[in-house]
Parts: sequence; structure tokens; C-alpha cells
Amino acid sequence: MEIIEHPIVFYLLGIPVRDTVVYTWLVMAIVIIGVILIEKIKPNLLSTLLDAIIGIIGSVLDEDNLNPYIPLLGSLMVFIFFSSAASIIPGVKSPTSDINTTIALALIVFFAVHYYGIRKKGFIGYLREFATPIFLFPLEIISQFSRTISLALRLFGNILGGDLIFAIVFSIIPMFIPVAVAGLGLFTGILQAYVFTILASLYIGSAVAINEAESSKKESKKQIKQKRKELANERS
Amino acid sequence: MNGLSPEVLVTIVSIITSGIVIMVGVIVPETWEGKIATKAVEGIARQPEAAGELRTTMIIAMALVETGVIFQLLVVMILLFANPLITRFFGG
Repeated sequence: MEIIEHPIVFYLLGIPVRDTVVYTWLVMAIVIIGVILIEKIKPNLLSTLLDAIIGIIGSVLDEDNLNPYIPLLGSLMVFIFFSSAASIIPGVKSPTSDINTTIALALIVFFAVHYYGIRKKGFIGYLREFATPIFLFPLEIISQFSRTISLALRLFGNILGGDLIFAIVFSIIPMFIPVAVAGLGLFTGILQAYVFTILASLYIGSAVAINEAESSKKESKKQIKQKRKELANERS
Repeated sequence: MNGLSPEVLVTIVSIITSGIVIMVGVIVPETWEGKIATKAVEGIARQPEAAGELRTTMIIAMALVETGVIFQLLVVMILLFANPLITRFFGG
């Protein structure tokens, strides 16, 4: 099939550059030019869009200060949305229908989770919380890898499935009907951008969150000890 | 099998298998996604002020269910477009 193969377009200093990379550059150019144009024509619209993205991320990430997380998660959302929607331009394949792009995005999320966790709690503190019930430590490591893989494959499979269905319908009926299928693909792109961002912020939120159950347990133990001491003092 | 070469047999089995996999993998997860949506709608009807939170949770749960569907889609695509059995046993 034409859609699955990614031919080499040209060589840059001896490194083969595949068409996915070129389409990624195209998407980046579209996003940058679009942002600059919107800022010049309607600056209010840009802040409204940003507020919408912050609202979506803030609904999952329970942090007082969202500022460190917005650049990564917001740009993930915008990039995935535009690169999934890029396939409605004739002759352009969406960069997210190549598994290399989605694995790169999932790896970015994988490292960002640990980066934010270590930055918030310090290396020792993060490691201690990571292995709190010690017998669950191997399971925790497995889940770290499996969720990265599933994050990559979910995005890849959804976008590629949408593109494949569009190609099949287009080869059967090349008039009017493919428009509806393209609309469905656009909807899938929006949904997958949303899901990817929500899951990434969920993972970051779980790495950053301070385990309140442990600290409250310690506090309640202290309180019980104090009460006992008070009672003993009263008796004596 | 008289008259069928092994490559053709492997191809036929792959095609039938991918059909069955797609059938099961569409019916079962879609049923359960429908149940997720039903429960979410019931919750929203009971408590309309919690609609935003319920919607986010519903979409996360649906995405996690959808992961299995995507995995079987990938298996089917490997079987159809890049079948490793044919290249391994019959040298491409």
C-alpha cells in the first residue's frame, strides 16, 4: 500500500530524509505562520485559544502552578492536532501516521514525566515514592514502559486507520462520499490530540503529586501519640 | 491440499484470520464502549454539575479500551501487508 511506505525524499549531509520529516516541517511552518498571523490580526483569539488549552490541561493536572507544564503539553496538543489534520491536504500524508513520529512523541512524554517528578521532589524523594510498596516496584517499571508503547501505538493506529479508510473509500467512490470520511478523520485527529494530551498530563500529574495518604498517616500517628501523652499527664 | 502451494495456503489463512480478528475486535470493544457511554450519560443525567469531570473520565476510559482495538488493527495490518511468516519460511 502507498500509505504505509515512507520513501526517502533526499539526503541531507548523507542522512536519508524520509517524507514524514518533510511533512513535519510543513506542519511546523503552518503552525508558526498561523500563530504569527493570528497574533497580528486578532490578538484576543490567541489568548482565548490558549485559555481553552490551559482549561483542558488544568481539568486533569491538579497543580497550583501550571506554568512549567503548559509549554510541553500545549505544544503536544497543537502539533498532534495539526499533523493529524494535515492529511486533508491532497498529496500530504499526516506525520503521525508514521510510527517513528508517535514513538518520538511518546518518548518525550516518558522522559518529561521523570524530569518533572525529579524536579518537584528531588532525586531521592522521587525514587522513594516511586518504590513505596517495594513489592510493586517491578510492576511499576513494567507499567512505565507499557504505557509509553501504548501511547505511541494508540496515536499511530488511530490516525493510520483513518487514513486507510479514507484511501479505500476514495478508491471505490471518488466523489462526495470521501468528504464525510475526511470529516470523520478530522474528528479522530481532534479526539486523539485531546486524549494524548490528557493522558500525558495524567502521567505527569501522578509523578508530580505528593502522596498525601502517607503524610496524613504519619500526622495522625503523631496526633494519637500526643493525645496519649496528654491523657497520661492528666492522670498523673 | 492438492494444487495449493504453501505460500498461497499461508496467505489464505492470514486473510481468514485477519477477518475473524477484525470481527471480534470490533464487536466486543464497541459493546463495552457503549456501556461506558451509557454509564457516563446516566451519571450526567443524575448530576449535571459534574458533567465536565465525567466527560474527561469517560474519554480517558474509552481511549484505554480503544488501545486493544488498535493493537488488533496493527496485528491485522502486519498479517496483511508485512506477513513475517511468508518471508521467514518461503524466503519472500
